[in-house]
Amino acid sequence: MKRQILYWRAASLVVAAGFIVLWQMIANLRLVSPVFLPGPDRAWAALVRGFASGELWTKLLGTLEHMAYGWFAASIAGIALGAMIGSSRTMRSYVAPSLEFLRPLPVSAIVPVAIAMFGLTQGMALFVIAFGAIWPMLLATVHGFAAVEPRLYEVARSLQMSRLAVIFKIALPSASPDILSGMRLSLTVALILAVVCEILAGLDGLGHWVLLSARAFRSADLFAGVILLGGIGYGTALAMSTVEKQLLKWRPSGH
Amino acid sequence: MPLRDRTNCRSPEPAQIEFSQVTLELGGKRIIESLNLAVKPGEFLCIIGASGCGKTTALRLAAGLYRPTTGDVTFEGQPMRMPRRDIAIVFQDYGKALLPWRTAAGNVSLALEANGVSSAQRGEQIDELLNKVGLPGHAGKYPAEMSGGMQQRLQIARCLAQKPKALLMDEPFGALDAMTRQGLQDEVLSLAQASHATVIFVTHDLEEAIYLGDRVIGLLPHPGRVGIELMIDLPRPRDQLTTREHPEFLRLRRELFDFIKASEA
Amino acid sequence: MMPERAKALALPIALLLVAEIWTRALHVQSDSLAPPSAVAAALIEALSDGSMLVATRDTLASAFAGLLASSAIGLALGITLGMFQIIDRLMEVTIETIRPIPSIALLPIALIALGFGYRMEIAIVTFACVWPILILSRAAVRGIEPRLLEVSRALRLSLGDQVRKIIIPASLPRIFVAFRLSAGIALIVAVSVEIAINPIGLGAAIMTAQQALRPDLMLAYLLWIGVIGYALNRGLVIAQQRLFGRAALVGEAS
Repeated sequence: MKRQILYWRAASLVVAAGFIVLWQMIANLRLVSPVFLPGPDRAWAALVRGFASGELWTKLLGTLEHMAYGWFAASIAGIALGAMIGSSRTMRSYVAPSLEFLRPLPVSAIVPVAIAMFGLTQGMALFVIAFGAIWPMLLATVHGFAAVEPRLYEVARSLQMSRLAVIFKIALPSASPDILSGMRLSLTVALILAVVCEILAGLDGLGHWVLLSARAFRSADLFAGVILLGGIGYGTALAMSTVEKQLLKWRPSGH
Repeated sequence: MPLRDRTNCRSPEPAQIEFSQVTLELGGKRIIESLNLAVKPGEFLCIIGASGCGKTTALRLAAGLYRPTTGDVTFEGQPMRMPRRDIAIVFQDYGKALLPWRTAAGNVSLALEANGVSSAQRGEQIDELLNKVGLPGHAGKYPAEMSGGMQQRLQIARCLAQKPKALLMDEPFGALDAMTRQGLQDEVLSLAQASHATVIFVTHDLEEAIYLGDRVIGLLPHPGRVGIELMIDLPRPRDQLTTREHPEFLRLRRELFDFIKASEA
Repeated sequence: MMPERAKALALPIALLLVAEIWTRALHVQSDSLAPPSAVAAALIEALSDGSMLVATRDTLASAFAGLLASSAIGLALGITLGMFQIIDRLMEVTIETIRPIPSIALLPIALIALGFGYRMEIAIVTFACVWPILILSRAAVRGIEPRLLEVSRALRLSLGDQVRKIIIPASLPRIFVAFRLSAGIALIVAVSVEIAINPIGLGAAIMTAQQALRPDLMLAYLLWIGVIGYALNRGLVIAQQRLFGRAALVGEAS
């Protein structure tokens, strides 16, 4: 069984390689102007060149830094607020409807407000990313806390557990699947908003890099940047799902 | 075997758990009315009744999970205002009452943590408790990896970890198959004997009630009140074959059966 | 006991009152804040002179065009991958490599290839929305009761008839869920593109208001964008309930 999966994975890799060859052929035959579409060879060369000069490293780290700060701030605030709202029925009936109204708000619309408040600064980016990333976590935490099995609260009562112990031993672990899936969703949002902020505010990061490359019609550098952004998306999602699997191994499979 | 003296249940020994004139209303509906009940230390009391007669509610009152609308529930003379750690409750729906994110050992540990047992001592006690309920070698398993019978054993282990003076069991074996159920009945009997804990055991299975109890009370529904009280003087230790074939067993079963029939009519 | 509806409104009303009093009392001269009453006035003004409606039309047109394109592409791919596991397995690495690219990263590519305007915005929205539709329609096709497929085989339906008469109707409720989620994404991406670079639609309008130091107008646009997002979501939820009953709402929490 396991071996079969490996074979399929290998075949699938071959197909992906085939697409890259196709891309190379299209570029070589100049079916699309090289101004828009560099071949994979040129994109790769640009990637190597960028890392060798250290410039891409700085941009990559810049984007990761923006993402990470905003996401961490959002995680802490989102989980704390979500726990507060979710564990109290009264709070829920006052606050939840407002959250439901704000949920479908396209979060990037907050960017101009943040610019008006903070100017084109790192602080603006931090605010925007945190604001955007907080919603999935906040809503997931509220839902997770509200959905704790009532029987477990009775177990806690008959053990006379303290309020703090109930939160950390019962409610948080019980809500953890929801919280983690909220955190995974937030990662994607954080990456997108990091790029938007870098483009708008000219902050050091891959968003700024791809924009400058496009303006200068350096399509190879542009593709190198896009590939790296895809790498960040893939890497962070992978890391998150590894953490998730580790933390949620108690769940019966099939969830 | 140091058998407890079961014959003196009728003597005027002070009650451990006592209901006096307890009435409970939930959502404007009277669930229990003027319930009087005294349970002596070490007694094994079974409560039966048609569905909706308030037997689970009575148990939750004894656990302190509900407070009576009028009347008093006392434990060792003290009024019950909230749940206490020396009263453990075994819920019927074991799947919901265990922490799915903790292993068997972790679930037992929860009660030890609440009791303030130091982490150094927990490991040993956990092993001992898991052994006691017949789950040696399953310490590292998550509830989802265990059968229903094993999960209920685990819940009992957690309750024993509270070192309870009273063990309240709410149809604990209702969802289990007949074979598992009989095995667990015998284990509960010997655990109760060894721990000297009082047991209140709610069940809808008449034979189970007679087989386990020193005394069986039957509740009448709408609202719940005591309708019948039977002393069970069957010899101990009880045995799945001989006890169930005892003429007294059959007589008691007939009496309870008639009571249930009449209460449902 | 306050009725639930009153509780729902209590928080926003209280916040608005505090904002009104605070901004009025302190005579705040701010680039980012304005009294709610001034925001309301700006909203009415922008709605009545038509500028806000033109911007709304531009944004929604791009979002819907992208949504339709991605639905067509995503459904075709999703149904194919759902029906033929071999293709699904062979395409796995390719799809998992392209999917994590954040849609907004394609903005510069779209910009040099297509220039400013509707087309680049539609292209980016399409890229963003293809994935949820592909993934969810693939899962929907996989989740079809096997008995139904056996029936279609027993009836010797042609491939086209199988797709038309069995697969699409059977997976339609879940496909609609995918469509609803994607509609939200389409709006977000369209506004983001406009804010970042594209000079049309609501995103550009809110940026212009900020640059013109009109916090009242900026916040009016923010509010309006919120209303559009909420209305779009509500409308699609109601449509889903009407069309497929509440059963279709199950399984979207995850």
